[in-house]
Amino acid sequence: MAAPPAAVDFTSLAGPFRRRLPWPSPASLGTCVQLLPAVLFLGFFFMLPAATLFAYSFLTQSAQGNVGLPLTTAHYQHFFGTALYSRVLLTTLRISLTTTLAAALLAYPVALVMVRTGAMTARIITMIVIAPLIVSVVVRTYGWEVILGNGPSGVLNWLLLETGVIRHPVRLLYTEAAVVIGSLHVFFPFMVLPLASALGKIDPSLDDAATTLGAGSGRRFCRITFPLSLPGLAVGGCLVFSLTAGSFVTPAILGGSGAQMLGMLVDQQILTVYDWPFGATVATVLVVIVLAINLASMRLFDRRRRNAR
Amino acid sequence: MSGGLSRPLAWVLLPITAAVLVFILAPLVVTIAISFNDTAFVVFPPHGFTLKWYGEVVSDPEFLGSLAFSTELALAATAGALLLGVPAAFAVVRGRFPGREAATAVLLSPLIFPVLITGVALLQLFAILRSDNTSLNLFLAHVLVTLPYVVRTVMASLMLADRTLEEAAQTLGAAHWRVFRRITIPQIAPGLAAGALFAFMVSFDNFPISMWLADAQHNPVPLLIFQRIANVFEPSLAAISTLLIVFAVGVVIVVERVAGLRRGLAM
Repeated sequence: MAAPPAAVDFTSLAGPFRRRLPWPSPASLGTCVQLLPAVLFLGFFFMLPAATLFAYSFLTQSAQGNVGLPLTTAHYQHFFGTALYSRVLLTTLRISLTTTLAAALLAYPVALVMVRTGAMTARIITMIVIAPLIVSVVVRTYGWEVILGNGPSGVLNWLLLETGVIRHPVRLLYTEAAVVIGSLHVFFPFMVLPLASALGKIDPSLDDAATTLGAGSGRRFCRITFPLSLPGLAVGGCLVFSLTAGSFVTPAILGGSGAQMLGMLVDQQILTVYDWPFGATVATVLVVIVLAINLASMRLFDRRRRNAR
Repeated sequence: MSGGLSRPLAWVLLPITAAVLVFILAPLVVTIAISFNDTAFVVFPPHGFTLKWYGEVVSDPEFLGSLAFSTELALAATAGALLLGVPAAFAVVRGRFPGREAATAVLLSPLIFPVLITGVALLQLFAILRSDNTSLNLFLAHVLVTLPYVVRTVMASLMLADRTLEEAAQTLGAAHWRVFRRITIPQIAPGLAAGALFAFMVSFDNFPISMWLADAQHNPVPLLIFQRIANVFEPSLAAISTLLIVFAVGVVIVVERVAGLRRGLAM
C-alpha cells in the first residue's frame, strides 16, 4: 500500500525561476490556496513529529520522566553496544532480506504470466494478488497462525502428519521462518505489481528481433527481459524490504520472542519501559535503514537511466 | 505482449504461479473454513457445521462497538483526506509554480516512512500538546495515513484526463466552473471513487497507527482482533475475520468495476 518513493528532481526546481513567472498572479494564488492546507497539515502532523522523535534520540530522560538537555549519543552507544539489541537489528535485517529475496523469486513467474497471457487470466491473477491487500494484516496473520499452529491440529502440521512426511508435529510458529512466511504473504503484491508493470513495458519486437537473429529463449531472457525488468525489481524490492523491516503485527503474532524485530523493540521501550529517548533511538535506526535502502536504489537507477541516454 | 509464453516456459511458470496463488488464498480459505467449526476450539480439519459463531459475533457488544467506531473513523478520515488531498493533487498536476516537484514529494512523503514510526511520532506530539481527546487524535492520524493515497489516485486520474476536452469547452464559451463540473469531474470521477474507497479501507484496516493512540473506549476492529488472538481460542474470531474478508472482497469487486483495480490503486 505504499508508493514507490517519489524521486525529487532538483534540476527542475531551477527552471521556473529562470522563466520569471508573474507572481503572485491570480492563478498561482489559487494554486496556493489549493496546496497550502495539505502541506501545512503534513508539516505539522508528519514532518514536525518526525523531527521531534529524531531529536528525542539525542536527549536525556530524568528520573521523573521529563525529557530534555543535555544532548547525548549515549542511547546510540547503548543500542549498538548491547548484544541483545544488535541481535534484534540483525534479526530484522535477516528477515527483511530473506522475505525480499523470496518475494522476488516467486513474483517473477507470476508477473511474467500476468503480462504474457490473455486479458482474462491476467485479470483474475491481478484480483487474487491484490485482494488480500485490502484484508487487514491482522486477519491475514491470524490465518497464518492457524495454518502454522505447532500442535497436531495446525493445518500444515496436520497435512504433513496425514501424508506421512513427519511422525510428530514440528515447531513452525514463533520462529523466524514463520515471520518470513507471514511477511511474504502480506507484502507480496508490492513486488508483483511493479515487476508486472516493468515487464509489461518491454517492447515485444525486441524479443522478436532477437529470435530472428537466432537467440534462444534463455539468452533472450538474460539479455532482454531480465535487464529491462530490473527497475521494477528494484522498486518492489525496496518496498518489500522497507515494509518488512518496519512491520509489527506479523512478528508479534507469528514470531513472538522467537523472532524479535525492531518494531517490537520500539513498542516495548515506549509502551512498557517508558524510555522515550531509547525508543526514539531504535525508531531512528529503523528509519535510517529504510531511507538508506530507498535512496541507494533511487541513485542506482537514476545513474543507469542517465547513462542509457 | 504479443509473444505470449513459449511452450517449455509455460510448463515451468504456470505451476509456480498456481502454487503462489494457492499460497495467497490459503490463510483466507482456512479462516473461512474454521469459522463454521462446531467445536469450542479452533481445530483442523474442520469439524461439523454451525453458524452459531456468527450469531455470537453479531450480538457481541464489544465487537459491534469496535465496528461502529472503526466505520465512523474511516468515514471521517476519508472525508478529511479528500478535502485536503483533492485540491492539493490539482495544484501539483495543473499548477505552474516553483517547487512543484518538491510539493509532490512532500505530499507523498508519509508513504516512504515506516507507518509504525509515524504512529510513535504522533503519540509523542499529542503527549507534548497534552491532547488527550482519543477520537480527535485518531482522526488526525488517520487523515495523515490516508492522505497520500488520495493524492496519488487523484494525481493519476488527472494526468490521464484529456485536457483538450476542457480547452474545447472553454473555446465554446463555457465558464470556468462549468468546465470543471461538466468536463473535469466526470473524467476523474472513477479515480476519485476508487481513491476514496481505498482510503476508507486503509483507515479501516490500520493497525500500526491506531496501536499507539487508541484506548479501551475507542478500540478499532484490527486492535480488537489482535487482542483476541492472544486470548480467545474460539472459532468466533474466525467468524469476525470471515466477515472482514467478505467485506474486503466486496470492496475489491466494486473498485475493479468502477476504475479497474490497478488504476484505482495507482500501482
